[in-house]
Amino acid sequence: MSYNNIVVAVDGSDASQEALDHAVDLARQSNASLTGIFIIDTQWADFIGNDWQSAKGARQGFLDYIRKEQEEQAEAAHAQFEQATQGMEQSCFSVHAGDPTEVLLAQASSDNTGILVAGRRVFQVSGRPSLKSLAATLEKKASRPLILFP
Amino acid sequence: MHKESHGFFRQLPSALPGLALIIITMVVIRLWVEPWMAHTKILGMEKPLTDAFHLNYILLGILCGLLYRNVIFGGKMPEIFVDGFKLSRLMIKTGIIMLGSLYTFSAIVQLGSMAIFLIGGFVIMTIIMVLWLGKMFGLDRSMTAVLANALSICGVSAAVATSPAVEAKASHVAYAIATILGFGILTMFISPFIGHELGLTDLQYGAWIGTGILNSGQVLAAALAFNPNVAPGTAVSIAEIWNIMRVISIPFAVFAVTIWYWAGKEESDSSGKKKSLGTLLVEKFPVFVIGFMVMVFFTSMGAFGDVGIKGGPPASETIKTLRLVMQWIFGFGLVGLGGFIDFKELRQAGGTPLKLGLIVGTTKYVLALAVVYLIKDYLVSI
Repeated sequence: MSYNNIVVAVDGSDASQEALDHAVDLARQSNASLTGIFIIDTQWADFIGNDWQSAKGARQGFLDYIRKEQEEQAEAAHAQFEQATQGMEQSCFSVHAGDPTEVLLAQASSDNTGILVAGRRVFQVSGRPSLKSLAATLEKKASRPLILFP
Repeated sequence: MHKESHGFFRQLPSALPGLALIIITMVVIRLWVEPWMAHTKILGMEKPLTDAFHLNYILLGILCGLLYRNVIFGGKMPEIFVDGFKLSRLMIKTGIIMLGSLYTFSAIVQLGSMAIFLIGGFVIMTIIMVLWLGKMFGLDRSMTAVLANALSICGVSAAVATSPAVEAKASHVAYAIATILGFGILTMFISPFIGHELGLTDLQYGAWIGTGILNSGQVLAAALAFNPNVAPGTAVSIAEIWNIMRVISIPFAVFAVTIWYWAGKEESDSSGKKKSLGTLLVEKFPVFVIGFMVMVFFTSMGAFGDVGIKGGPPASETIKTLRLVMQWIFGFGLVGLGGFIDFKELRQAGGTPLKLGLIVGTTKYVLALAVVYLIKDYLVSI
């Protein structure tokens, strides 16, 4: 089967390498374009919403610290993608911001996506516990073809 | 840099739908549900919801918040309500500042000295226990540092304050927070029941949960769930002194744990990353504690009239009004906090942090009850 556009979720960790390698092979075989995506999780303020007594500086300092770590992770993901796609003409990498489950599900349901490739543990490296169920949500709700790696 | 909030007045219009939901919920609970529970008969039992399950407007408010998020809205607050629910934090801080009207300086000294003794002992014991267990379980050093402060002082607030100082990974912090919240929520619901079944006084109960419950939000809720009255000597007036002592100790505990963390690192790694105690005090000290102390000062000066201490003159009309306002504010605030509890996050917590959190949290919870029982004759009410 061939696809026009292959989307792969990349987070710079070993967990996403297998999915990335497979997506690159698939794109080369199909002569398809490959889009790598990383999602900066914006749900941290909500995640610590229950904490009413932190000083404003401590709370903002914490959110900035988490954001910085995620931006570093995005850079690692970009480098991982560039390394894997060397020599490919139709490839691009984009960084999104939002709830990783919602953004990835939107990608996995978009008409522009031929197939979505991801590791089951993708984004857990910098994520909240609920991201463990990201792959299960994709399996249940994605409307486009999907390949998930362990 | 992403800013989480943009000032109270700029945020107010977008907060109105969420605030309206919170206010309507609490009004319905207090004006209709509570009176109904107080007179209802179920399966031949008189008032089972209040007498057997100890449900009151505080627990019902939290349950409604939980229900909105996790059931009605399918796991996520709709955008339209988010800003309003965020304001619940401000409501609770305002309530705590007003709580300063329950105490005079002599009462603060009296209760504070007991609190320092218990809190100090338990903070040191918990930190040592976490550092030892962290080493035994082979936990990452930064994760151990975050758990040490979070389990020993104020739960999520301490985790938030400690994480940047010890370079904790986001996923580590997330698991620590989920563990603490899960344990805190469990103890929040069972503590009032245990307290009533054991026949604890407000003083004993307040001292116990103020020492034994991991997260401060749940200390407040558990205290009001045990006794919703806001007056000198009630559970909330005791537990919140314990809470204030815990909050004050955050910058000192962050400083101590940071020293421990960086002691195990190369000198070059730590250059420019370690912060002085003075810097930590400025960054991490919550301003509402100062507001609370200002309120205690005015109360001690008699600015609001008599506070209604047991055996003394009755409370003034101003004080009575303040207490009524506080009950409503805490009620609103806790509906909002319930809306921030996400069962998806708590369900997925696990691994070694959960194991360590359960061991330390349970030990602390049970030991605090035992210690309060042992020293009950030395606990003096206000």
